[in-house]
Amino acid sequence: MNCSDITELAPLYVAGDLESEGAAEFDAHLKTCPTCMAELETQARLDARFREALLADEIDVRRVNRRIRELIAAGSSGSVAPPPRPNSGRWMTAAMGIAASFLLVAAGYLLMPVHVARVYADAATDHQMEVVEHRPRPWISDRSQIAALAEQQGIQVSLPLELASNYHLDRAKVCPLDGHLYLHLVYSDGPREFSLFLRPRDGQHLTGAIRGFANGRFLRDSSVGSEHISSFETTHLTAMVATDEPSDAALLFAKAASAALQD
Amino acid sequence: MGQAGPSRLCLPLFVDGIATIVTVRQDEFERIAMPHSRSLLRVARRLAFDPATAEDLVQETFFRAWRSFDQFQAGTNMRAWLFRILFNLFYAQGRQKSTAPTLVSLDAPGRETEPQSPSRTSLVEVAEISNALEELSSEHRTVLLLAIVEGFTCREMAEILSLPIGTVMSRLSRGRQALRERLAPTAPKVWEARAGAGRARKEMG
Repeated sequence: MNCSDITELAPLYVAGDLESEGAAEFDAHLKTCPTCMAELETQARLDARFREALLADEIDVRRVNRRIRELIAAGSSGSVAPPPRPNSGRWMTAAMGIAASFLLVAAGYLLMPVHVARVYADAATDHQMEVVEHRPRPWISDRSQIAALAEQQGIQVSLPLELASNYHLDRAKVCPLDGHLYLHLVYSDGPREFSLFLRPRDGQHLTGAIRGFANGRFLRDSSVGSEHISSFETTHLTAMVATDEPSDAALLFAKAASAALQD
Repeated sequence: MGQAGPSRLCLPLFVDGIATIVTVRQDEFERIAMPHSRSLLRVARRLAFDPATAEDLVQETFFRAWRSFDQFQAGTNMRAWLFRILFNLFYAQGRQKSTAPTLVSLDAPGRETEPQSPSRTSLVEVAEISNALEELSSEHRTVLLLAIVEGFTCREMAEILSLPIGTVMSRLSRGRQALRERLAPTAPKVWEARAGAGRARKEMG
């Protein structure tokens, strides 16, 4: 891949559209070409500035939501009632709900490039089940034991005890995601929690749209169902943040984690 | 008498069943579609400029989505589906506007907005970016909003806008260049120069 290819394919790379092979070639070129790397960094910064400004421009949806609900309620009780589905019943609804859940999970695998789709989907599932739903798992809460567990997993950096101002390291465990072992750290500010998954970097390319640039690293973003994943790579680590809060929260947590994980 | 019993029983059950289905369907719509109203309104306001027109556009989008909700396939991208409806409506309205008189809304949409919470991004920055965005063509504004703010991939944008993916990529590159000229005019533009040289080569060839 040469510089002209990079120029042409940059929109796909930044949006996370490139297939894994193409993305790996793109990565390889960036490592050897400071001009292209600098250009992509400038673009990532400008994108982040543009996105943050437009997201900061808060809008009130209460009125439009109220009008939509009124329209739907009027339509449902009047002449535009939706056609009934066959074999109605609560059991049917429950079955459809279960089927929809399976489809949503399947979509998580199908809609993203294959080799990273699983790691993001697995991280989202882990966060949902183990953190949001609090399913019983063998967590470690003692910080010296957490540090020992990290070292055992080949993670040589000191783990941040506080992140994003008021989130503290609450607990940890090891979990398999897409066939690799990750250290799953949970940070909590009391009512809210987010997950940070870490493992030694081994050359696997993380895809997902580039949504930010912090500490010399690209921050990538993916959504799986209601979970948002933001990922980045340090010199020695692959890191993913998972949260059930809006995607800009995932990016903020990832920025904080990136700043704290200096290796 | 023996036949009257079941019909008396069945009718209320049938009516109750329909009501249950409608309620469940509304709940489902509320759960998977309504959370996206903010995204749609954000983009609509940047497309339509006039807040009342933007609200009407979003309202109509959701009403059409509700009426076609049976056609939505569970597990596919609801947000992309809603945006596709919104852009179909926007372009259709654009065509109508060329022949129809402009209607002035008597609503005052700005008055109901929530107080602005303190933000990390300054008002000056928001104004500067907003001005730069308004100066761009509608095509460039659209792809920049969908890609950078709403996080759609090029493939998803091609679906939403019913365009070939190459057109989306080209608009995105040129839109980014145009934005950069306005926001960071002194930054070196290596890719822009390369793209220009590439276009010149193609034209000469």
